[in-house]
Amino acid sequence: MPGVDLEGIVKAYGAVQVVHGIDLHVAEKEFVVLVGPSGCGKSTTLRMIAGLEEITDGDLTIDGRRMNRVAPKDRDVAMVFQNYALYPHLNVADNMAFGLRIRKMPKAEIKTTIDDVAEILGLTPYLDRRPADLSGGQRQRVAMGRAIVRHPKVFLFDEPLSNLDAKLRTQMRAEIKRLHTRLGVTSVYVTHDQVEAMTLADRIVVMNDGRIEQVGTPMELFNDPANVFVAGFLGSPPMNQMRGTLTETGVRVGEAEIRIDGSAPGHAGRDVIVGIRPEHVTLSADARSSPLPITLDLVEPLGSEALLHARHGEDALVFKADTNGDIGHLSGVEAVHVPAHLVKLFDAGTGRALKPGG
Amino acid sequence: MADRNSDVGGIPMEEVVVEANEAIRERRRTRVPEKNWVRVWDHFRREWQIYAMLVPTIIWFLVFLYKPMYGLQIAFKDYSIFRGVAGSPWVGWEHFQTLFANDQFIRAVRNTITISFYNLLFGFPAPIILALMFNEVLHASYKRTAQTIVYLPHFISSVIIAGIVITAFSPTAGIINTILGWLGMDAVYFLTQPGWFRPIFVGTGIWQEAGFGSIVFLAAIAGVNPSLYESAVVDGANRWQMMWKITIPSILPTILIMLIIRIGNVMEVSFELVLLLYQPATYATADVVNTWVYRQGLQSGQYDLAAAAGLFNAVVAFVLVMAANTLSRRYSRTSLW
Repeated sequence: MPGVDLEGIVKAYGAVQVVHGIDLHVAEKEFVVLVGPSGCGKSTTLRMIAGLEEITDGDLTIDGRRMNRVAPKDRDVAMVFQNYALYPHLNVADNMAFGLRIRKMPKAEIKTTIDDVAEILGLTPYLDRRPADLSGGQRQRVAMGRAIVRHPKVFLFDEPLSNLDAKLRTQMRAEIKRLHTRLGVTSVYVTHDQVEAMTLADRIVVMNDGRIEQVGTPMELFNDPANVFVAGFLGSPPMNQMRGTLTETGVRVGEAEIRIDGSAPGHAGRDVIVGIRPEHVTLSADARSSPLPITLDLVEPLGSEALLHARHGEDALVFKADTNGDIGHLSGVEAVHVPAHLVKLFDAGTGRALKPGG
Repeated sequence: MADRNSDVGGIPMEEVVVEANEAIRERRRTRVPEKNWVRVWDHFRREWQIYAMLVPTIIWFLVFLYKPMYGLQIAFKDYSIFRGVAGSPWVGWEHFQTLFANDQFIRAVRNTITISFYNLLFGFPAPIILALMFNEVLHASYKRTAQTIVYLPHFISSVIIAGIVITAFSPTAGIINTILGWLGMDAVYFLTQPGWFRPIFVGTGIWQEAGFGSIVFLAAIAGVNPSLYESAVVDGANRWQMMWKITIPSILPTILIMLIIRIGNVMEVSFELVLLLYQPATYATADVVNTWVYRQGLQSGQYDLAAAAGLFNAVVAFVLVMAANTLSRRYSRTSLW
């Protein structure tokens, strides 16, 4: 099958297991982002695909060929590293040509390839410069150029933008997206930045503690998180989570009762975790929403919108509200209104999402 | 509520900015530039702890390097220990003329340069090669043991090293001649033959110092970004290619710095080891400037002539190190200063 397949992939260092049997299919030309907190095993998984880490158990196949014992150079993958891994003693052209020379590509062909890729990446004026004479963004482009010239089956990106400042990161993110659209190469991208994950991915793989928590498109994960971890990881600020108890018509949180769509009358009394996205609340009531009284601690203006830091009982909550050019009207907020169809419920014991009506 | 950035204490922001700019211009116009010594004194008061730490080193340099320079003038005087340095009459370049008219001195200069050249040719790459080899050893405990073994000779006194060498090359009980005997060859008294002195001397130096010298290159190798190797692995490079294309270029600045230092010491062939290994029979290839100075200066009491030879040595070393540093800076962007 074209693409990359991971079946029951395990990684252990001695007795310590860090990746616990991952199953994942990355389709041909797909851009998949592995995202998760530090130490979740995402980089280790990527390095196993590259061949830089041995696979303890399970099967890795690329385009249908089992790769567990295949040397990295024969896997037809190219990797972009977090710190760019540019050879400081070589100029841009030689850095990009390194892999091609190792593979004994004819000189004329190397030159044509380098010129073409440099043109695509806007690196033509810098081909004679050494990495030390380049800006962070240019170095990042060279690192990508070095991967692109190889025309690999799979691109592997290991947090390639984390060394750039915020502005440059946004630019480079767009550039990577454009390149992927243009080149159409299967890509696996590791990041801990959820914004990168959301903006770049065809599908996101959320990892935690060496396991996959959920796989899906960015909007699937945002709208229907499989558990409280995914709900808390994606979204900025993350989803508010409060303990509550199901009632006949909704869910009771502290003194407030919030109506929910598809409530399950038979489950009244069940303990749940109630999830409310900060941006899903409104400041005015309507027919489909329920009020949630809050004690406002702080208003943080962000420009067009503001963050309301508040409490409901013991729970610390954050909500987003439009400023309409002024935050004065937000200081008096005493309740937010929660639309019934946007409330998420999770099992209080397992943390797994509960389906409406179930 | 009014925008809190629009005024300062009730005064419109524009007025505040204009007033601030005028104040800055006025201050620039009327400011008296601080005198240099005031700035230096301020700096010293702020950073005195650093200078306090520097004092022992400065004292060491003054006592052991700068004060003896006073005595260098005897190279240009007819020195007598009874008249002292100041009381001895000036003789100009006479001692240098004597030196360059002396065949033994010329031979010593030639020997010094030849031995140093061999040392540079074989002795300088040895620790680099050793470090590269250690870097390729994957078995950690084997690597540690091997490193300890090759470091050991450095900590042995030159006298003992010379003793080991003399014993090893002994025509009666030495291991070398024993092996030659097994091969049906006649015993050779290596240390009495001028042709064998230089290979034995350079080889001994490598054996004694290559291991310890490899530490600095191992440290440089340890500083190479590991992802360069990972990137090369993905690109398809083998270990040999990684050594040539990543490790060596990455430690090149260290190699060049060490080379400059080594070139600065070209005239300082290991005096003790030569003195311990040479004998009159091998003077033709073994007598170096320092041993010649030792014999003439200390044993024959010609301090002024010895001082002239020593000064000549120092000047040549200075010129060499300056030239090496300049060349290195020009061609590799690496230099000591």
